Amino acid sequence: MTLEEKLLKILQRTANVEAMDWLAQECAAQRADFVQRSFYYAFSGVSRRFDKKGGLELIEADAEELDALVSGFALEGWDQFRLGRVILLLVLAEQEQDVFLETLQKLLGTADLREQAAIYSALPLFPRGEQYVEMAQDGLRTNIVDVFDAVALGNSYPAQYFSDEAWNQMVLKALFISRPLYKIVGIDQRGNAALVEALSDLAHERWAAGRWVSPELWRSCQNFISPQVVEDMRRLCESQQPGQREAVALLLADDESGGAVADLKAQVSSLVDEVKAGGLTWDQVGREFGKDCFSVFDDKQSDKA
Amino acid sequence: MKFFDSHVHMVSRTTDDYQRMAAAGTVALIEPSFWQGQPRTEVGSFKDYFNTLIGFERFRASQFGIKHYCTIGLNPKEANNEKLADGVMELLPLYICKEGVVGIGEIGFDDQTKLEEKYLRIQARMAVEADLPIQIHTPHRDKKKGTQRTMDVLEDTGCDPRRVIIDHNNEESVKEVLDRGYWAAFTIYPHTKLGNERLVEILREYGGERIIVDSAADWGISDALAVPKTAAVLKENGTTMETIERVTYGNPLEAYGQSGQVSESDWEDAEGVDPSALFAGNTLFRGGQDVEEAMAQYKVIT
Repeated sequence: MTLEEKLLKILQRTANVEAMDWLAQECAAQRADFVQRSFYYAFSGVSRRFDKKGGLELIEADAEELDALVSGFALEGWDQFRLGRVILLLVLAEQEQDVFLETLQKLLGTADLREQAAIYSALPLFPRGEQYVEMAQDGLRTNIVDVFDAVALGNSYPAQYFSDEAWNQMVLKALFISRPLYKIVGIDQRGNAALVEALSDLAHERWAAGRWVSPELWRSCQNFISPQVVEDMRRLCESQQPGQREAVALLLADDESGGAVADLKAQVSSLVDEVKAGGLTWDQVGREFGKDCFSVFDDKQSDKA
Repeated sequence: MKFFDSHVHMVSRTTDDYQRMAAAGTVALIEPSFWQGQPRTEVGSFKDYFNTLIGFERFRASQFGIKHYCTIGLNPKEANNEKLADGVMELLPLYICKEGVVGIGEIGFDDQTKLEEKYLRIQARMAVEADLPIQIHTPHRDKKKGTQRTMDVLEDTGCDPRRVIIDHNNEESVKEVLDRGYWAAFTIYPHTKLGNERLVEILREYGGERIIVDSAADWGISDALAVPKTAAVLKENGTTMETIERVTYGNPLEAYGQSGQVSESDWEDAEGVDPSALFAGNTLFRGGQDVEEAMAQYKVIT
């Protein structure tokens, strides 16, 4: 099954028949004879055919199948508009390189919020993936949460193409605007020493201001336990705030370096046991303690940029 | 009472107006693309203006519980700059099928030049192609002939009069507009008395069918409450509530509802105002104001 077939199959579960027929016709027509103007009509006109409040229905097998087609690609949180538009963008991506890029730039420069989300979500599907780094970074400069999320969360593009510098900015901003880090694709793989230093600095800033930080902040430090991070963990161990001791247990569960680390590990030994038994994971910390930390975690309306 | 103001330029209005409109019962409005008091010199200015109409202005309205729609188009005044106009024609297809865009507008004649006609034709064809209603601006000078000429052009282009709303009518233009099957809108400018006896007379003569009342409030002296205030005047003068409801709410909804982009459920099922919401990092409310309280003082007609 091709990616397009798979996406159509998913969209079909909730969209009405007329909308699906229309989309199939538009795709066929654009493939036969690409006309920029009618592509604009189709791309924005998704709003005229699909249900504006219509979501998707994902089943268990979807995640694996999508991941097999495009590594890291997932549709969590998407709606009908977004998926319909991404399918059209797949057709656009088949055009000559210059036509594709010019059309894409025009669409993005005039896009409403839901259209922007669709374009950013489709980045990992485009050919010559290295060309869209600036576009994606521009998307992250927004203060509109839905647009930021489209680039940063559930999107494999940044992990694959961002420099460390760009990646680190994204993670730091995600923390600043209270986005769930566990939804960032590649959050465990893209940790680096510079990021760890910046994260520790951020924690110190917050602590100095009498605020506390999401336990998810420490996730990127997993393979970079610097002396500074060891000091920070000391503080976390003493913290009464939700999720902080859990973060220490997760960071140290597999660490056998002894010394100061062993001492800290002993302080959270029961949590370490939980980690080893598979009963405590970073995703869980994000889901459970993130809620306490950011109040009404999944409700985007309540997040402050 | 609920009101639908189908012509109002909110980019030129302050939040005071939004508060007063919401308090007075305006649940939805349409912001036509227009000129901004002085001519634009770059196509990019149009792009950013259109982006505002589908972006920040929509958000501002939502903060007062008002649903904001728009029509997209090149106004006749700026149609006289051919190079600029051509650029805008290339831009329009990117916008006209977007969510919440209920038509092409406001387009039509101003000085009634050849260039104005050229871009009226192009945009009318675009509306037919995209299956969208058209919102027509009729000239303030030589109105009767200008309105006739507009209708001639539209019919020549293949437009269906039932999908065209002709605005800024007066006693002289309305008969032919209705006879030819168009929707006839009346703009209630302050000091013209159209909100008083004149409109009562017009409604007495033509009934409420295909007639729409709007404010066309913009950057000049105008009244964002013109629609509810007119409803109050009509009521005092004995116009039936059914007709009032029709011309201030039902008719604009039906006329622009033909776009498929606006329906009553948009506001009936709305989840209310979230004063803490942000757009591009901006909030409209300062220091924990109470929206309800701020708006209560502005009730005009219940």
